[in-house]
Amino acid sequence: MKRSSGNRLIPPVIIRTLKNQPVIIALIAVFVMFSILYPDRFLSLLNFKTILRQFVTLTLFAMGPSIVVVTGSLDLSYVGIWMLGGVLVWLCMPVLGLFSILVILLLGVATGFLIGVIQAKAKIPSFILTLSLLVTYWGLTAKLAGGYPRIVRGFEFITAPLIPYIPTAFLWSIPIIFAAVFIMKYTRIGTYLYAIGSNEEGARLAGINVDKYKILAFTLSGLFTGIGSMILFQHLGGSTPVELKLNTLVWPLVAIVLGGTPLMGGSGGPQRTILGALTFTVFYRGVYLSPLHPYSIQLLVGLLLIVSITVSARGLKGVTIT
Amino acid sequence: MTSPSLSREWLRRNMTTVGPIVFVVAVVVGFQMMNPFFLRYQGIISLVYSMSYFLVAACGLTFVIMTGSFDFSVPSLLKLSALLCVLYIEELGLWVIPLALLVCVGFGFINGLFLAKFNVPSFMATLGVSIVVEGIALYLSKGFLQIMDDRAFRSLATTFIVGLPSVFYWGMGIWLISIFLAMGTAFGRRTYAVGGNLIGAGLSDMNVARHRIYVFMLSGLLSGLAGVLYMAQMGGGSVEMGADMAIPLFASVVAGGTALTGGVGGPHRTLLGVIIITWIQAGMNMLAIGRDIQMLTFGLIAIGMSIATIDRKRIKIIK
Amino acid sequence: MRMGIAMDDSLLEVKGVSKTFGGVVRALDDISLAARRNEIVGVVGENGAGKSTLMKILVGVYPPDKGELYHKGEKVPFPKDPKEAAKRGISIVYQEKGVIPWLKVYQFLFLGHEDKYVKFSILQTDKMKKHAAAILEELHVKCDAEAFMYELPLSTQKMVEIARAILSVRLESGEDGTTPIIILDEPTGPLNDEERRELFSDLLKMKKNASFFFISHIIPEVREFTDRVHVLRDGKLVANYDFSEEKIAEEDLFRAIVGRESSEYISKQEVKGVDRGAVGLTAKNMTKKGHYYDISFDLHKGECVGIFGPAGSGKSQIIRTIAGIMSFERGELIVKGHKLKASAPPHVRLRSGIGYFSGETGKELFFNWPIVKNISIVNMQKILGKFMPVINFNAERKMAQRIVHRLRIRTPSVNTDCYSLSGGNKQKVSVGKWVERKPDILLLDDPTIGIDVGAREDIYEVLSEMKKSGISMILVSDDPKEYSILCDRIMFVMDGRIQNVLGPDEFRKVVGI
Repeated sequence: MKRSSGNRLIPPVIIRTLKNQPVIIALIAVFVMFSILYPDRFLSLLNFKTILRQFVTLTLFAMGPSIVVVTGSLDLSYVGIWMLGGVLVWLCMPVLGLFSILVILLLGVATGFLIGVIQAKAKIPSFILTLSLLVTYWGLTAKLAGGYPRIVRGFEFITAPLIPYIPTAFLWSIPIIFAAVFIMKYTRIGTYLYAIGSNEEGARLAGINVDKYKILAFTLSGLFTGIGSMILFQHLGGSTPVELKLNTLVWPLVAIVLGGTPLMGGSGGPQRTILGALTFTVFYRGVYLSPLHPYSIQLLVGLLLIVSITVSARGLKGVTIT
Repeated sequence: MTSPSLSREWLRRNMTTVGPIVFVVAVVVGFQMMNPFFLRYQGIISLVYSMSYFLVAACGLTFVIMTGSFDFSVPSLLKLSALLCVLYIEELGLWVIPLALLVCVGFGFINGLFLAKFNVPSFMATLGVSIVVEGIALYLSKGFLQIMDDRAFRSLATTFIVGLPSVFYWGMGIWLISIFLAMGTAFGRRTYAVGGNLIGAGLSDMNVARHRIYVFMLSGLLSGLAGVLYMAQMGGGSVEMGADMAIPLFASVVAGGTALTGGVGGPHRTLLGVIIITWIQAGMNMLAIGRDIQMLTFGLIAIGMSIATIDRKRIKIIK
Repeated sequence: MRMGIAMDDSLLEVKGVSKTFGGVVRALDDISLAARRNEIVGVVGENGAGKSTLMKILVGVYPPDKGELYHKGEKVPFPKDPKEAAKRGISIVYQEKGVIPWLKVYQFLFLGHEDKYVKFSILQTDKMKKHAAAILEELHVKCDAEAFMYELPLSTQKMVEIARAILSVRLESGEDGTTPIIILDEPTGPLNDEERRELFSDLLKMKKNASFFFISHIIPEVREFTDRVHVLRDGKLVANYDFSEEKIAEEDLFRAIVGRESSEYISKQEVKGVDRGAVGLTAKNMTKKGHYYDISFDLHKGECVGIFGPAGSGKSQIIRTIAGIMSFERGELIVKGHKLKASAPPHVRLRSGIGYFSGETGKELFFNWPIVKNISIVNMQKILGKFMPVINFNAERKMAQRIVHRLRIRTPSVNTDCYSLSGGNKQKVSVGKWVERKPDILLLDDPTIGIDVGAREDIYEVLSEMKKSGISMILVSDDPKEYSILCDRIMFVMDGRIQNVLGPDEFRKVVGI
């Protein structure tokens, strides 16, 4: 009796949203759990600020790849674009001055286009292609930088504080997120990319130039990674590392998968990635504040990735999985 | 009767064999010209050291790629096994080796389970598992450099037999066993079958899901063995070891001619690939070329060789 | 047999279309047919009769070698690509793979034709939704324009696809006056009975908006729902029936589709009247909802039972269930006194002696393997060493040579890769591995589909020999003559139920061979 009336109180919109995006429940659960466990440290202004900072990092990295994941492919090159871009900025600084930051953007677009063309024409699985390219970029970064991170000054204006307690990078990320969601939701390109991810053969039969739109997906991914990396460059200290960290590579992936974009493509997309990134950040901060051994955080992140992939891979019967 | 067209036809057919051999010769001649010590005794010893444990790990990965899957966790398992050896050698003595191998086989089993039973694409499943393994390795080693000072253990790899270190014989032994396994046994035949035609394999006399799990267990076992040999050879290591092995390993398998699509190639080809990769590495080390350029080279080799070996006719949809 | 088309009524007419592939195979030979306004024209024939080739010419996938196309009485060139075909009013709904499950209905309807709904590169989704709802309403498709495609029942998905085809014609041809001609390529393949009936009642309503070419080999539905029917056989137009003049019997239509010179039919390898041995396999009330119901039969040693019926009757599902590719929901499957699990995969079934041979090329063959490996893959136990699971290459090669010799496989050696063999020889390799394996029960799923007469004879011969040696078989085929050659009993299946059981002679009378 009580339950049924309770059900009526919840508007159907919310029920539907929760059904489509169960990660919201996980987000609330994680948030409430850590709020109860460590009310002082978790519910502090400092912690919220840190969550926001990490959320921005994760979102900007994951925005581009989540466009590619919609088509069913995978783009791991984002860390490479960010690292190599940072070094190129340092190299170009004496010549181009403040305009050198645009080099990252150019690099992103060029890389995305290159990956798209190779993947569509030479038919190499995208994960191994982008992974190899990532390692290539890493080597190039280390070589060009001469072995240690190069700090570039002059771009502090990008993250100059505007509103107290809110990182400026977060403000920057808002239009970027909107642009990505807009492209995927309200343009023809987005519709085609969902179509390709859902049924590539069918999309081809419907007269869509699949190769062209796949290349476009990778180029868009490169573009968003490029824009994001321009901000991240300053957000993460005005330099880029010359060492590839597995975590930098994997966390955005966890955000994408956790958000509920299945790796086989067809649904999900940037709007879900935001939720995934937020959930992951809250989870990570909570574990970080907990008395758990710092080393075991890594383990938990791995388990989180495995669990979320397994959940998102449900119902893939009949598809050849390698 | 060797008309030009015939020899061209022969070349086209055997490109995947001739290519790597030419590549190896070019590498050897090139480095020898740049550094005359390359083929001296000391140079050869260092070449042998750098290729042997690598060959063991690459053989495991070859079986996985032959089935059309991918195992990202090989370097992580190698690291875990090496760390287990160095951390527990005092308590367990040489019994630590079977323990390390068992743990690695266990993780291989988990990899296979995710692929075969839960339908998780292998590269993602193994990526997840490898992060967990990295976490365990970090937890166990506490991030410190660990030194192995057990002589018996170290002699596994460093005893010299007929002028070459024993790790070389381990590597070649495992390589030969792998060839035998791939060519001469039902296991190998079924591995090729899974990679060649998954549906056909399911209709013939084999349990595809179980076989996929076996293949990942084998990969885990060989990764573990490679870790043991690595530790015996190097005599120490930290959580950083093996960090950048994933791409060179993959590059060596595809450079040998085992295509990512699965069903073709095999461990017999991987030796050439391993020689190409590790000797480039060793040669660059001798010329004091840094890791940066090495990574750059391996990344490009990996992309180039994938393009060269993949069978585009068989692929309709690529993700 | 006359066309009887009034010129003013004719919408699309093709005359004298011929097409050869590679200069050898005559795919189409002098075909003439026409569609009038607002009618459903059936195009029927066996697999490989040329239906698909004809339709692909109409939508511009292939150019014809010869022939003319008339649109509303005017001579026009054949379209060069699907887009041009749509301008002429022709569009196609493919058999499968056309649906994109994760798109919403309105997105799917306009997929590839969004031009009119883009303003400053923004999709006007509200306008699209409204138009989509209006079009669905007009065409009597009952579904929500904002639902996901995968949420719809299969028949509605098909209807949305048809609506999409009509819409694409309207958008491409630019004028609403053109009546679209929609080609439906075996639209009922994945549907069950109920969904089928729904699809057809919707189609009849849609008739006033379009004309349809309905490609099928399912006789009852063709007879029931089309206005006229053209029968193709071996690339030739062999019969035309106008159902408004007379409704012919199903048997006559069936005979027209499969009928061939009877000399070609009766093979010298006919084997009948084998003594009934012990029961090898028993099916009891096997049921899988939506596919087949209450299937019960006994299979004796050395006997061949055919499961015969039109496409979509559930015969393929039954044999695939016995093979272990599908599972059943109710009932029992007993082999040699042991109950089999409903969901045991093929390799487990093989252990209890059930082998599965499909004629579908490439399904069970490893193309990049030599013959010898393809034969040994199911015969591993025979060639492994006694103490270790090591392959005895000598035994393997001898086994393959034996099979190559016995089946007269034309190949330079047993080490030749299978992809270089001809279709018939590939099939022989596929069947050869079962000849060597000698399972207790061999399931034949269209064993000779798409191969020439000579290779067929060889395969029949070897199957008959296997039968003589005591192997039981179950046959499913599209070709009735195969049943009359191989089977001792034929179960006639309709709508997923066994209707009656016939002997080979009765069977021949019924199908008219």
